[in-house]
Amino acid sequence: MRINAKDFGSGLLLLALAGIGLWLNTDHTLGTAQRMGPGYMPMLTFGLLFGLGLIVLGISFASGPDPLEKWTKIDFVGLFLGIAVGLVAYPLIAAVPALANNWYPLGIGLVIALLVMAISPGWRKLALVLAGMTLFGVLLDQGGLFLAIAAMVVVAALAEPAHRPLGVLGSVVFLIVVCWWVFIYELDIRVNIWPTF
Amino acid sequence: MELLVDNLAHGFGVALSLNNLLFALLGAFIGTAIGVLPGIGPVATISLLLPITFGQPATTAIIMLAGIYYGAQYGGSTTAILLNLPGEVSSVVTTLEGYKMARNGRAGAALTIAALGSFFAGSVATVLVAASGPLLTEVALSFGPADYFSLMLLGLIISAVLAQGSVVKSVGMVVLGVALGLVGTDVQTGQQRFTFGVPELSDGLNFAAMAMGVFGIAEIIANLERPEVRSVLSSKVGRLFLTREEFRRAVPSVLRGTLVGSALGILPGGGASLASFGSYMMERKMSRGRNEFGNGAIEGVAGPEAANNAAAQTSFIPLLTLGIPGNAVMALMVGALIIQGIQPGPRMVESQPDLFWGLICSMWIGNVMLLVINLPMIGMWVKLLQVPYKYMYPAILTFCAIGVYSINNNVFDVYQTVFFSVLGYVFAKLKMEPAPLLVGFVLGPMMEEHLRRAMLLSRGDPSVFIERPISAVLLVIAALALGLMLLPGLRKKKEAAMAG
Repeated sequence: MRINAKDFGSGLLLLALAGIGLWLNTDHTLGTAQRMGPGYMPMLTFGLLFGLGLIVLGISFASGPDPLEKWTKIDFVGLFLGIAVGLVAYPLIAAVPALANNWYPLGIGLVIALLVMAISPGWRKLALVLAGMTLFGVLLDQGGLFLAIAAMVVVAALAEPAHRPLGVLGSVVFLIVVCWWVFIYELDIRVNIWPTF
Repeated sequence: MELLVDNLAHGFGVALSLNNLLFALLGAFIGTAIGVLPGIGPVATISLLLPITFGQPATTAIIMLAGIYYGAQYGGSTTAILLNLPGEVSSVVTTLEGYKMARNGRAGAALTIAALGSFFAGSVATVLVAASGPLLTEVALSFGPADYFSLMLLGLIISAVLAQGSVVKSVGMVVLGVALGLVGTDVQTGQQRFTFGVPELSDGLNFAAMAMGVFGIAEIIANLERPEVRSVLSSKVGRLFLTREEFRRAVPSVLRGTLVGSALGILPGGGASLASFGSYMMERKMSRGRNEFGNGAIEGVAGPEAANNAAAQTSFIPLLTLGIPGNAVMALMVGALIIQGIQPGPRMVESQPDLFWGLICSMWIGNVMLLVINLPMIGMWVKLLQVPYKYMYPAILTFCAIGVYSINNNVFDVYQTVFFSVLGYVFAKLKMEPAPLLVGFVLGPMMEEHLRRAMLLSRGDPSVFIERPISAVLLVIAALALGLMLLPGLRKKKEAAMAG
């Protein structure tokens, strides 16, 4: 019998999220139906989610084969290595006093983890696009808007092999000009434009 | 009747102010552009532009966002007809007959009837929204908390039932959306729920970050992983005028399409794509040209194009009169209103007359603009298609990043977007439909409020939901909708309709 891997995965995901929710919800008072406490609605919601997860899992045995894309060995290695490196990096960065604020440990840890993931071809596009975006967050406050945009576009552009250096440079310049005009000149959002130290 | 005229006059006064005209034009323009471009849809665009509208008054913001939605319906038909490439989901069926017409040298005629049909349908839908708004508001004012809860439940269930793919999984996504909506401060006790001590989460997860991540960024990654489809314009646009025969055949289809579209748009969970599928099925069975289907029948363009535009507008009815978003785009509108400090609900017609009547009138004005934007400027839109995706996605990414940051001036929101992008990527790989998630997320907190109130009033007795007649009827409809979809025969029909 071939199971429907996509449905099976969906069921597991719903069950896992429901399980985490129910476990976290043990901190909240339930109250009664008449006077509901903060934990009442979460109990109903996550309980329902758990039930639906079970149904989806059950259906996956009958809904026909629908396999997931094949993972190569390097995809597994990339994913677990990325997560491991990120988890190690987080407390190390948090220990540096200059980087302990502004979500730097989270941002930098995420960038490192995503870049490690990018070694496997299967994750490369996902990892590089998201690493670019995270890098934007890391650089924005002290590096300024222009540097953050440039870094994001360059890293994200690596996700598409068809990009050429000159085209990327053009994109960076074009986007910096457009964003300056829209967000700084027209909308006047409060953000540093140039690096500050 | 006289009141309606007065109200419409007031609405036109609002909609014709320079600022509102400008933003309606901007919305229609952006809408057409993203409609033409495959790979970026109205949901992603509206969430991307949400932060930009904060500086504007609420009416102006909603006018522009609405323009994007119905503008996308116009633009989507262009690529469908000329390139056999649906710019939007709602123009998938237009490729079937529209591209054949283009191959027969009648591309111009197909584009004209698509635009004219859309314009006619849009105008009718505008009147419909104007007429039904105050009526439905009357009804909604007699709703108690229990009725509201049931109404929202119905909305959630129908949005799941009508979503693509497995119904059980879609219901799961709705419930997951409600669960994600629980994060933040509990309104009644002030207790922090599921915030992990993060102060940024005390107002809940960032709605724009979720919409951008799940729809925008996850879509970029999916597009990059897919080999790019390079299509070339195979036929000239040709003369834009219809022959007398074509006109005669198209008129009944436009009328039917408008009717079907308006009806399916009002339905919670409905919207433009469902309407165009519905109309296509109807034309294939009923129209006089049904034997020509497959060889470029003009009915197959006229009906669905009228229907999707009508539905894009009538889907505002449940939102504006009951405060219930029927689909993901309407969920974004609720998000936009709440950020502007307006609680969507039945009192909106009275308390926000500028917004309600201004929006309605701007829809009609927007349709006139779209006619001008689309027909004479068709060449420009075709050129836009030649911009390679590799230059487009860094721009989308940049706008998302700055946009989401500027909501709270906090980089934590950028990281939230990254988190939701991963989640959206996983959803796509597992064939889990993200649109019901968004609807659940928006409706969840409101449902909890109404549930609490209803149970407090009934002293904890859940039978209140079946004792109140309005609530009971709504629950029966919800149960029927869910039950019908579990029947194998109907499920197959739905799958066939969704697959076009």
